[in-house]
Amino acid sequence: MEQILKNISYDALVIGAGIAGGEAALNLANTGYKVLLVEKDLSVGGKMIMLSKVFPTLDCSACITTPKVSEISRHPNITLFTGSEVSNIHRVSDVEFVAKVTRKPRYVHVADCTSCQLCEKACPVSVTDQYQFGLIGRKAAFIPFSICSPKAAAIDIENCTLCGACEKVCPTNCIDFTMQPEEMTLHVRTVIVATGFNMFDPKKMPRYGYGEYKNVITALQMERQLAPTRPFNTILRPGDGKVPDKIAYVLCVGSRDASVGNPICSQICCMYSIKQAQLLMGALPMADVTIYYINIRSFGKGFEEFYQQAKGMGVNFVKGKIGRIKAKENGNLILRYEDINEGRLREAEHDMVVLANGVLPNGDVNNIFGDEKLKLDAFNFVGQTDMLASPARTSMEGVFVAGTATGPMDIPDSILSAGAASAEAISYLIQKTV
Amino acid sequence: MGTIHSNTAKILVFSTEKISDPAIDMAGLLKLHYPPTVYTITIPCSSGIKPSWILYAYEKGFDGVFIAADGSDCVYGESCTEKTGNLVGKTHELMKSKNIDPARLRMAAICSVCSESFVKQMRGFNEYLLKTLHA
Amino acid sequence: MEKKPKKIGVYICHCGGNISDYVDVEKVRQAVEGDEIVFLSKTTMFACSDANQRDMVEDIKANDLDGVVVASCSPKLHLTTFRNVSERANLNKYTYVHANIREQASWAHSDNKMGATEKAIHLVKAAIAKSRYAEALESNKVKAVKAVAVIGAGVAGLKAAISLAEKDTEVILIEREAEVGGRVAQWGSLFSSQETGREMIDRLSAQLKLHKNINLLTNSEVVGNKGSVGNIALKIRRKDPETGAEVMTEMTVGSVLMATGFDYYKPQQAEFGYGVSDRVITMPEFKKVIDTQTSKKLMYNGREVKNIAYIYCVGSRQTDGENTYCSRNCCTSTIHAAVTARQKFSNIQNYHFNRGLRTYGKQEILYADSLRQGDIYFQSYEDGLPVVSVEGKKTIVKVNDVLTANREIEVEADLVVLVTGMVPQTDNSVGSLFKLPKGRDKFYNEVHMKLRPVETVIDGITIAGACQGPKNIAESVNSALSAATKSYSIISKGELESQPLVATIDPSKCSWCGACEKACPFDAILKVDKDGKTIAEINNTVCKGCGMCAPVCEPDAVNLIACSSAEIMSMIDALV
Repeated sequence: MEQILKNISYDALVIGAGIAGGEAALNLANTGYKVLLVEKDLSVGGKMIMLSKVFPTLDCSACITTPKVSEISRHPNITLFTGSEVSNIHRVSDVEFVAKVTRKPRYVHVADCTSCQLCEKACPVSVTDQYQFGLIGRKAAFIPFSICSPKAAAIDIENCTLCGACEKVCPTNCIDFTMQPEEMTLHVRTVIVATGFNMFDPKKMPRYGYGEYKNVITALQMERQLAPTRPFNTILRPGDGKVPDKIAYVLCVGSRDASVGNPICSQICCMYSIKQAQLLMGALPMADVTIYYINIRSFGKGFEEFYQQAKGMGVNFVKGKIGRIKAKENGNLILRYEDINEGRLREAEHDMVVLANGVLPNGDVNNIFGDEKLKLDAFNFVGQTDMLASPARTSMEGVFVAGTATGPMDIPDSILSAGAASAEAISYLIQKTV
Repeated sequence: MGTIHSNTAKILVFSTEKISDPAIDMAGLLKLHYPPTVYTITIPCSSGIKPSWILYAYEKGFDGVFIAADGSDCVYGESCTEKTGNLVGKTHELMKSKNIDPARLRMAAICSVCSESFVKQMRGFNEYLLKTLHA
Repeated sequence: MEKKPKKIGVYICHCGGNISDYVDVEKVRQAVEGDEIVFLSKTTMFACSDANQRDMVEDIKANDLDGVVVASCSPKLHLTTFRNVSERANLNKYTYVHANIREQASWAHSDNKMGATEKAIHLVKAAIAKSRYAEALESNKVKAVKAVAVIGAGVAGLKAAISLAEKDTEVILIEREAEVGGRVAQWGSLFSSQETGREMIDRLSAQLKLHKNINLLTNSEVVGNKGSVGNIALKIRRKDPETGAEVMTEMTVGSVLMATGFDYYKPQQAEFGYGVSDRVITMPEFKKVIDTQTSKKLMYNGREVKNIAYIYCVGSRQTDGENTYCSRNCCTSTIHAAVTARQKFSNIQNYHFNRGLRTYGKQEILYADSLRQGDIYFQSYEDGLPVVSVEGKKTIVKVNDVLTANREIEVEADLVVLVTGMVPQTDNSVGSLFKLPKGRDKFYNEVHMKLRPVETVIDGITIAGACQGPKNIAESVNSALSAATKSYSIISKGELESQPLVATIDPSKCSWCGACEKACPFDAILKVDKDGKTIAEINNTVCKGCGMCAPVCEPDAVNLIACSSAEIMSMIDALV
């Protein structure tokens, strides 16, 4: 539960409260260990809680995430800090680490906030909403998103003009501009790193026009448009608000591409694109959806069947690498590509393009540890010292890794990896006690 | 009661929590459609169904009753198949004595992944009931 | 039955459109709000969300509700969630009743919105009828044996056993073969590891031996099981390797972890020339050849091998056969084997006849490297698979290559390697014994890929490794450690709550005929004398609540809690 500090020593520190960190924390807490779970963002749930439905079962992502999220926030053995960062973890003995945790001020007392949204209405400042991946705006006094946890407002102090309008309307007086960053020094016996991943920024590939052409969006932006808590209640192209009817997916944007510094495959883009294509066919039955791919990698349980199902539904799959995207005056986009089946260059017109951008390491890992640094692998993911036999082990004894911090993986694999990390951490805690 | 549905028959399914429920749920997940007048009551094991419940269902207006039996998969042991068979036999006798067509009670083993077979059963049973009852 | 009318709350979930796109949830709410016991009724975007759970707790407390009905997805997913909500509001969790209007209404009847809505109304009414009878119940505590049986001592089983032993748990590790290590023990060099498969298994076996609390039984099979979670009695048959004599032992554990692995697909006669040409072999056979030969030239059947053709997806991604799934790790293991052959032997040229390479994640580097080293890749779709033909002494592989605009390619191969996929173990006797459900791919099925990925619908039985579906070593180990955590959490407290939904006997109707005793598979019926009359009585700690005793009772004295005649009939009333 989110709370004031009760004690300064915990059995385990879990860094990152996405699906992997959350799962690992729950496994430890359910076995009776005291867990400190620290999340940088304002809500737990990571990227998964933002998704629409998940492949290959098309379960709604919120339905799977929210019960875990609420179990996490309520568990008596879990102390949760959101909007907080960990730094300078260092070993002080054979069985103990010390970590610095900095809690950034939210300027709202979470326990008193009823998420009535009056502050949102009163706030005069509008900025881009990062939780909708820039599709719409939000206020500087805001509730991150509808199913966030803790469900409470926050003040975006960078953009706040300190006009005080929110304070005046708040019925519970929970807004407090005097809040200061809190620094804590905490003792833990084991650490699980579950810092997740970043998405490749397609602006680094100007030939695809992201940032320049409004109707070129990223997969996460489409994910928000398809989510049950979606901003527009339908699918719109951002350029002019038109409902698109000829949508293209460009796979391997920033993946399998040494020229942008990421030679590896991101492992999830094929499947999330196929999933989005299926959802689009459901939402816009008249729309044409084309996926431009190099190889379709539907390798997991039920994935190949899911791919075949998409073909059966009428999703077009074109084997071809996109060279360049240009916009027409009406906002439509011309894709130039090499059609591999035909062996020649072709052009195709679409009215909206979704870039399936890849998975990159989260560089934050570098800032977490003190003198003894965690070793990274050749791609800057957390290194696995015994990759096959003990995938959760790292270069530091007592520090384990879970989920996409080790490299790209899908949700089921992240959850299994979190299971492995907690199994190792529990064994470590028991062995170190004996 | 006993409303006549123009296009689908009212079918009561006795389904078991661990074995046939997952199959029926999966039929929904896979969007395998069957008549929406098929209703499920969940019980622990198909050998625990009382004949009196089945007779009550006809009395109240159900056209058919379907037992999604555990078969050899039953978590409570192998005797389930025989016991379920016995209670179906007993119910058939009671139905005859009340002049109810015994074919309005059907049973088939539905395992935890038998979604397609469940849907096929429902469609077939629905057709039979429509033909014999609502003709 | 009840003294004063109950007051319940009804919540109908939109499920973010999964329900409300097909079921008019507001209409459902209106249809039930007038019910005598319904004190409040609400629709909600996500019933399972933290905010709604909090609202429910407040509603229950503020209005002094006696029970709650949530109409949402399958109870397999969220029955426990909402039972817990009830408990947090100081209600007994058995006062909670669930209605499934997603899998059994909105999704099943997405073709018929009116029908789906109508059905949802009836389902919620039936749940309200059931709620009328739902009483507070106390769980029985059952002792859980603090031991886990791990079946299968391949890499997954070994890792699971070691992890459990490290958690001070007694482990019985049961292996059918004479040695531990399964498939991995047969493998030479491994991708992304300095160790060979054999060395890795030797390292794990050494760790295994350090743990006194692991009882390794090789040459052994589980042939019988009795009991349920917390108390599972296994009958184990052990064969003496020397004399062939069989010994039976019985052991009791609290949980069983299945790690029985996979089989390789066996090509049919003449499938890609298998069995027709002696130059056509399978990938496991090829691995053995390259691992065991030490000469500079790669020899097979007395002839030097230079050109090797690998045909991918044999027994996987089949359009005609049964195996529609992708076997996940063959692309990488094939390229790894090809690269190994090229490095170890002289004059090797590799030709990969694939259907789109799936070297996902960091495995991509291996593919890129092999391309750089000169391996040649041809690709086809499912409707243009390569053809292997024997022409005199030559073995020819032909394909129309997608990558060069469908040009017909012909390779004369000294050796054709069929990349055979992973299939479920052909001998499924142990799976049938535990009644483990299988998925569409015939591998063991988890309850839910994301919520409960290593649990099965059989309480106390977890699954790990490739018996659940194709996995590579690291993925098998991750699932093995997850399953170990799960099995550990089941038994670690030494006590389990057994469900209180047991049978009851109305003493006024019973005059002991013994029919229920005969019907009970668990010996839960006692013959007792009460008030001068011999009657049946239920032993609550033994009764599993199957209800087999109920229909056989002539005087109708037996009812199951939560499934009594009165309840079932009132549900029937609501459903008609």
